[in-house]
Amino acid sequence: MSYIEVKELSYSYNNKTNVLEDISINIEKGEWIAILGHNGSGKSTLAKALVGLLEPATGEIFIDGTLLNEDSAFEVRKKIGIVFQNPDNQFVGVTVRDDIAFGMENLCVPREEMLEKIKFFAKKVNMLDSLDKEPANLSGGQKQRVAIAGILAMQSDIIIFDEATSMLDPFSREELVKYIKTLHKDGLTIIMITHEINEALLADRILVMNKGKVYAFEETEVIMKKKEVFTDNHLELPVALDLANSLEENESHKEIRDKLWEYALIK
Amino acid sequence: MGIRFNQVSYDYSSFAQGLYTAIKDINLEITEKNEFIALVGHTGSGKSTLAKHMNALIFPTSGSLEIFGNIITSKRSKKIKYNSIRKKVGLVFQFPEYQLFEETVEKDIMFGPMNFKITRDEAKILAKEALNLVGLDDTYLTRNPYNLSGGEKKRVSIAGILAMDPDILVLDEPTSGLDPAGKRVLMNLFKDINEKTGKTIVIITHDMDLVYQYFNRVLVMNDSKLIYDGLPEQLFKEKDLYINHLDYPNTIKVLTYLNQKLNLNLNVYQKTNADALLEIKRAAKL
Ligand SMILES: Nc1ncnc2c1ncn2[C@@H]1O[C@H](COP(=O)(O)OP(=O)(O)OP(=O)(O)O)[C@@H](O)[C@H]1O
Ligand SMILES: Nc1ncnc2c1ncn2[C@@H]1O[C@H](COP(=O)(O)OP(=O)(O)OP(=O)(O)O)[C@@H](O)[C@H]1O
Ligand SMILES: [Mg+2]
Ligand SMILES: [Mg+2]
Repeated sequence: MSYIEVKELSYSYNNKTNVLEDISINIEKGEWIAILGHNGSGKSTLAKALVGLLEPATGEIFIDGTLLNEDSAFEVRKKIGIVFQNPDNQFVGVTVRDDIAFGMENLCVPREEMLEKIKFFAKKVNMLDSLDKEPANLSGGQKQRVAIAGILAMQSDIIIFDEATSMLDPFSREELVKYIKTLHKDGLTIIMITHEINEALLADRILVMNKGKVYAFEETEVIMKKKEVFTDNHLELPVALDLANSLEENESHKEIRDKLWEYALIK
Repeated sequence: MGIRFNQVSYDYSSFAQGLYTAIKDINLEITEKNEFIALVGHTGSGKSTLAKHMNALIFPTSGSLEIFGNIITSKRSKKIKYNSIRKKVGLVFQFPEYQLFEETVEKDIMFGPMNFKITRDEAKILAKEALNLVGLDDTYLTRNPYNLSGGEKKRVSIAGILAMDPDILVLDEPTSGLDPAGKRVLMNLFKDINEKTGKTIVIITHDMDLVYQYFNRVLVMNDSKLIYDGLPEQLFKEKDLYINHLDYPNTIKVLTYLNQKLNLNLNVYQKTNADALLEIKRAAKL
């Protein structure tokens, strides 16, 4: 059995139209998955279903062998953390410190250890000097950083990032991605929903959602070779690959094309 | 003059944290017509705070601001019609959730235009047109804005400002959360509005590709200060943008990589993929 198994999952918010339709996917332990797809394609809905926040209309989800349902959701959520698309949805505390602590409190992390971790992860996202601030008084990118720190601090086996870096400046995004790479090396399973094609390139496999269905779910290199995946799904190829594809297949261009591919696929 | 900042500083004050100076000594002129300006800078550098001054949503702590002839200072003046300033300068918030409050998408988009002397039916038509412009079909009119996906919310919040048809548009990260095709469509729409109607548009973004391709003026905020006001072309020739937490556009990065790896002599300053392609082909022939 795979680490995460989704079987014939469908979901509807209004019992009329399905927002997710017949989704079947398997994800292995330690994989890095990127999810791409047009606005409203069902990415966030799928993410919420994976952490047991929505009850499937039909179908089943297994996390590490456990069927996700009302009874198991609490236990399963210790394994899987999610950074929501809107960081405000994650804030409950009066201070940044409270909010980073929130997830750990549910995991019953001992107080001393919790204080250490708050500092460690606040530092990781560059928010150490803001621990006493009110989350509501932060800038957009600062909110996203705090939301990320709170989930990283739970140190769960799986983390879902739902457009978690969409408002970070390029430098902070790069720093964070570097850190996520090290976590991935240490075995973290990552599901990253994004519209940033360069971010998706870091994944082992890419899941492309379209109108609530799985359009494709394949190795990153394979997806990148299929131009129709991009034209059919409101996507744009990474710049290097768009250039590589546009160069005629002749000898004088071969070396350049190879380098462009190399650039795109450096992890 | 559209908007002029004279030595503007702004302090947030809160009981827990005391004062925080979010923008400091800002001097800036934005012409009423024909400007297409990108506002960039690191997380927390003061971009949203600067934007909120542009339609008098907040007032400077010190210094003064001129918006269409109205002088805005720290003190509220009875002579100034702040609401009419907010109609002339439309602001789209960074988080659409702060802007959506009606029970249907249609009512939400109608809210702005209904402040003008027009009928409900006319406002409905404007709402529908604006909705279609941002890439959503009529079925969304009756939807509850809270029950939309992130990108759909963003689009509706932008439609609200388009329907208001202000003289100057200020958009705080309008493309974050949009799918790549949506990003293109909306950037082309903004550019089109700018070119056809001459309306000045200010856009906050972290996307350096957009800054390079679409804009002819870029403002860089760093640590509460405005540290650059000029051409994007010039900015991206700077040696170390990372110091300011910025980055180079993808075309420049990719062409630089080719130069390094293949010992080529490409001119890396190409704005579009098409231009980059021509440059590569030129070099390959040599
Ligand atoms: N609470 C809700 N009630 C009803 N419909 C909803 C709700 N949330 C989302 N939807 C609809 O379900 C569909 C999928 O939404 P979802 O948020 O999963 O999309 P997404 O792929 O995450 O999009 P985005 O890229 O814009 O974040 C959309 O058409 C959306 O309008
Ligand atoms: N209501 C507030 N009270 C106190 N401080 C605030 C408040 N709003 C913003 N700040 C602080 O002011 C600074 C500038 O915030 P601003 O929102 O203008 O940044 P920004 O450049 O838009 O950042 P981002 O790219 O993350 O959106 C930040 O350090 C932020 O924490
Ligand atoms: Mg979403
Ligand atoms: Mg901001």
